[in-house]
Amino acid sequence: MSDKQPLFQSARQQGYLLCVDCEKLHLLTQEGQHCDRCGARLHSRIPNSMTLSWASLIAAILLFLPANLLPVMTFKSFGQGEPNTILGGIIHLLEQDMLLIGLIVLIASIVVPALKMIAMIILLCTVQFRLHTNLRQKALMFRIVEWIGRWSMLDIFVIGILVALVQLGNIAHIEGNDGATAFAVVVLLTMFSAIVFDTRMIWDSSVADLATAKREQKDNS
Amino acid sequence: MSGTPEQLIACHECDLLMERVTNQPNEDVICPRCHARLYYTTINSIERLLALSIAGLILFIPANIFPILSLQVFGQSQSELILQSALSLFEGGLVLVAMLILLFAIVVPLFQLLILFYISFTLHYRRQGRLLLHAMHSYQHLRGWGMLEIFLLGVLISIIKLKDIADLHIGLGLYSLAALIVITTLSSIFFNPHQIWHQIDLHRDQGVIHER
Repeated sequence: MSDKQPLFQSARQQGYLLCVDCEKLHLLTQEGQHCDRCGARLHSRIPNSMTLSWASLIAAILLFLPANLLPVMTFKSFGQGEPNTILGGIIHLLEQDMLLIGLIVLIASIVVPALKMIAMIILLCTVQFRLHTNLRQKALMFRIVEWIGRWSMLDIFVIGILVALVQLGNIAHIEGNDGATAFAVVVLLTMFSAIVFDTRMIWDSSVADLATAKREQKDNS
Repeated sequence: MSGTPEQLIACHECDLLMERVTNQPNEDVICPRCHARLYYTTINSIERLLALSIAGLILFIPANIFPILSLQVFGQSQSELILQSALSLFEGGLVLVAMLILLFAIVVPLFQLLILFYISFTLHYRRQGRLLLHAMHSYQHLRGWGMLEIFLLGVLISIIKLKDIADLHIGLGLYSLAALIVITTLSSIFFNPHQIWHQIDLHRDQGVIHER
């Protein structure tokens, strides 16, 4: 009975360690040393992954408020004009019947960052509280979130392009405002939060459970 | 599970330990637990990357020295380079945002092309690659930070926002940028880290690459 291996065993449980940079397998005892192929420092899991990921995520959530409340740019024509927030710009597009573009900006600037932050909360809670349901869906969610998060930079690029292009002195000119800085930092922080998050931690609790189950089985027999 | 580290492989996303299997070209090996792609074969990866990085470096020049857009209102005209979208924000006081645009739309894409050229040139012509390991690390850490395709979408949205209030003309820079995006996308598809690290191992065995 006890000879039968559990279905899934992690490299760490078996005394191995994967170099995250070049994916060469090492022995777990080499933790902290340098990879003999690529020279990167070897860690079984990214050090301080949870702390760094939580910290940057919480900072991003807090900055998401000024990013949406402060104006990101001001359009001035003959001395007149008012500052625009991100949401204001989207509403302006929708009012002018530019539905598709309005939706693209809405998704990239508001829906994606919000969903990304919710997804990171779910993933971090999964690890923090050792949840072990729907792990495969959560792994897929992380991949999607990691790929789509960078598209939030869209509005920042639009502001840069408009500010550079519309510089016609008194006739019309556009200037950037501080909301843009807050928004750019939100995007940076959420990307950083995902980069330092070690996906292997999602699966550690399920592996631990299997090991416990195996031990219990042994004790019973 | 038994065997030397050479016969075993761990999933980079879920740390599952497995025995290495041989795969056919164009056949992906998928992790049975988390469904991440473990490794795959890219045919002529190095040669394709060499060709693409040269093409990309050539295209990078017109994309950055010709205007992407120009605008005309009441006889006044204004044209714009990629660089100017960063510079004008810098002048307006949004230094951080300006630096991010400069990094994501110009510096990182250029660096990626240069690194790719260095890696593929070194491996293809079996040169001494003193910086090869640094180049590989840099390229892998820069993945995802080059945002030319997002910049292009930004240009298109700007065109739509301005088309009612001004005459807009698309410049040569924008066409070059679009071509450059095709190149960078293809090169990130053909960049197969597993395979390139294996090639670096082979070169090192032949004594071409210096030990650290």
